[in-house]
Amino acid sequence: MAEKMKGKGVIAGVAVGKIMLAGQNLDGYLKDYKPKKKAEEKKIAADALVAVAAKLVSTIEDLNKKDMKEQAAILEAHRMMVEDPAMSGAIDEQVDKSGSAPRAVLDAYESQAQVFEQMEDEYFRGRAVDMRDVGKRIAKYILGIKEPEIGEGKVIVAGQEIEPSVIAGLPSDKIAGVILGQGSTTSHAIIIAKTRAIPSIVGVGDAIEKIADGDPVIIDGETGEILIRPSDEERAAYDVKIKKQEELKAHYAQLRALPAVTSDGVKVVLACNIGSPADVDAAKDYGAEGVGLFRSEFVFMGKTDIPKEEDQFKEYKAAVEKCAGHLCVIRTMDIGGDKPLPYIQVGTEENPFLGYRAIRISLQRRDLFMPQLKAILRAGKFGKAGIMFPMVINVAEFKAAQAMVEEAKVELVHEGKEYGEVQLGIMVETPAAAVMTPVLAKYVDFFSIGTNDLVQYTLAVDRGNAQISYLYNHFNPAVLRLIKRTIESANKEGKWAGMCGEMASDPNAAILLMAMGIKELSMSAPSIPKVKERIRNISSAKAKEILDKVMEMEDGDEIKKYLATIG
Amino acid sequence: MAAEATAVIENKTGIHARPASVFVQKASSFKSKIQIKAKGKTVDAKSILMIMSMGLVKGTEVTLVADGPDEAQAVQELKALIDSKFGEE
Repeated sequence: MAEKMKGKGVIAGVAVGKIMLAGQNLDGYLKDYKPKKKAEEKKIAADALVAVAAKLVSTIEDLNKKDMKEQAAILEAHRMMVEDPAMSGAIDEQVDKSGSAPRAVLDAYESQAQVFEQMEDEYFRGRAVDMRDVGKRIAKYILGIKEPEIGEGKVIVAGQEIEPSVIAGLPSDKIAGVILGQGSTTSHAIIIAKTRAIPSIVGVGDAIEKIADGDPVIIDGETGEILIRPSDEERAAYDVKIKKQEELKAHYAQLRALPAVTSDGVKVVLACNIGSPADVDAAKDYGAEGVGLFRSEFVFMGKTDIPKEEDQFKEYKAAVEKCAGHLCVIRTMDIGGDKPLPYIQVGTEENPFLGYRAIRISLQRRDLFMPQLKAILRAGKFGKAGIMFPMVINVAEFKAAQAMVEEAKVELVHEGKEYGEVQLGIMVETPAAAVMTPVLAKYVDFFSIGTNDLVQYTLAVDRGNAQISYLYNHFNPAVLRLIKRTIESANKEGKWAGMCGEMASDPNAAILLMAMGIKELSMSAPSIPKVKERIRNISSAKAKEILDKVMEMEDGDEIKKYLATIG
Repeated sequence: MAAEATAVIENKTGIHARPASVFVQKASSFKSKIQIKAKGKTVDAKSILMIMSMGLVKGTEVTLVADGPDEAQAVQELKALIDSKFGEE
């Protein structure tokens, strides 16, 4: 019989594989380690530095070949930390103290991590994680703890928290599933997993310590169930589930080329949310028609300097071209105090989500905003592009951003660079913007409703807070009224409204939104088929009936329950 | 005999990761042993970690000391790099 545990399933699907522990505890290995003479231990440590650096160089080359530049840059920083001349001396000193090479490596990087942790600058404090990550990597090499080798079959990555470098170092087709001890659904690892439809479970808690490296496991990303060392019978039971999953996949594949249109001919564009141009390729397999949200943060994250216009242009151009005639909506920088960058000094804020972030920074930082606007305008020459401003709360902000776009065009003309006409829109994610959509609609080309924030701000609920997350519901009548108002405002002015929040991937919500008159739904690509199927199986008249009924209801949970019965 | 020069950090963000890595690459291209002194500390100029952990913000005065076959050229070029604000503002 398998040992069972349960977490919260966040990305559906059944996966079978061997556990690869990330964020592993090395204490046991360190205890068993038999150190030799100090001089030999110093040599062992020095050799390990050379070997680990060499391995990093080859991984970095591979990543660059696959155009995974972001992940390559993280590992490049790690390589410099391994090869740093100050570390070899520090490690030798630690060998003199403890006599053990792996312990000396961990201690040396730990003390360096502490130096960084005490620094005032948030960017440097963040580097402490990388220092510990690097120390562990080298210690594991000395202790002979192997990273799972390629060709060994698929792995399920498990850890309390998974460091970005671990995901970066593994080829994505080898990761069958992800298990996280902590409960955040917005961690780096989960965001990557989502775009690739990797079954994932979070919030397992300390139970995760019971899983050992190499354990065969089955995970169900829908129910959150984890079976460790399953018996043959258990395995067989899941094989049935896996077979069903395959059949569903095949069924969805048939839907790929079909439009999302109701039985009486109302069409909705189903687009995808992406984090990098490469995601568009995967999204096409699910039948995505363009991009409704390109999170441009990835061109800003992990950089030590403001990204150059030319570098940004290459990324945006790639995404626009891959959309092949469909619209590609690029959201301008949406970063704030929660994710500080070395070139954006936000300072310490009591509440970064109500602070200096997104468009509020962009409008004040011409040096940051101009290169991005110019890069998108230039990419617009290669297809259909849209610029979307995040966090807008009033007409003035949109007008100011629009004026900057005009300035950017003038600069491009002076520089002799070509640009295309692009649509300008805003993300409707604050209650203020939603209320003001009748006015805003006169100026914008489009609205895209960002429900994740709109729900949080409207209901004053932090959905990461387990105690109150029951209040987080996109069917709350207050939220539905704001959404309806936004869509109707757009249609009245002859503009279009779409949605790029998580609600767009809920098939029940899709029916309501369609009846309200939404033109586009953008979601993580793997959700497209199930939304499309729902739309194709209903008439707009029936959807309208359902909407009318829902708008009369007084309570979000009541609406949720009602919609579940009509499926 | 060692060569020595002083310089003041002038770029707005100080010696952050990018300037530090440019500085270290330059320093590593010389054979001489090179040290950087500031705020009462002395560190190896070829170590990005040591340099970053000094927290060299705008306005900090640093002294460069090189000792070896190309010491004069080393301090001269490294000083020029700091004076150029690493191509930043």
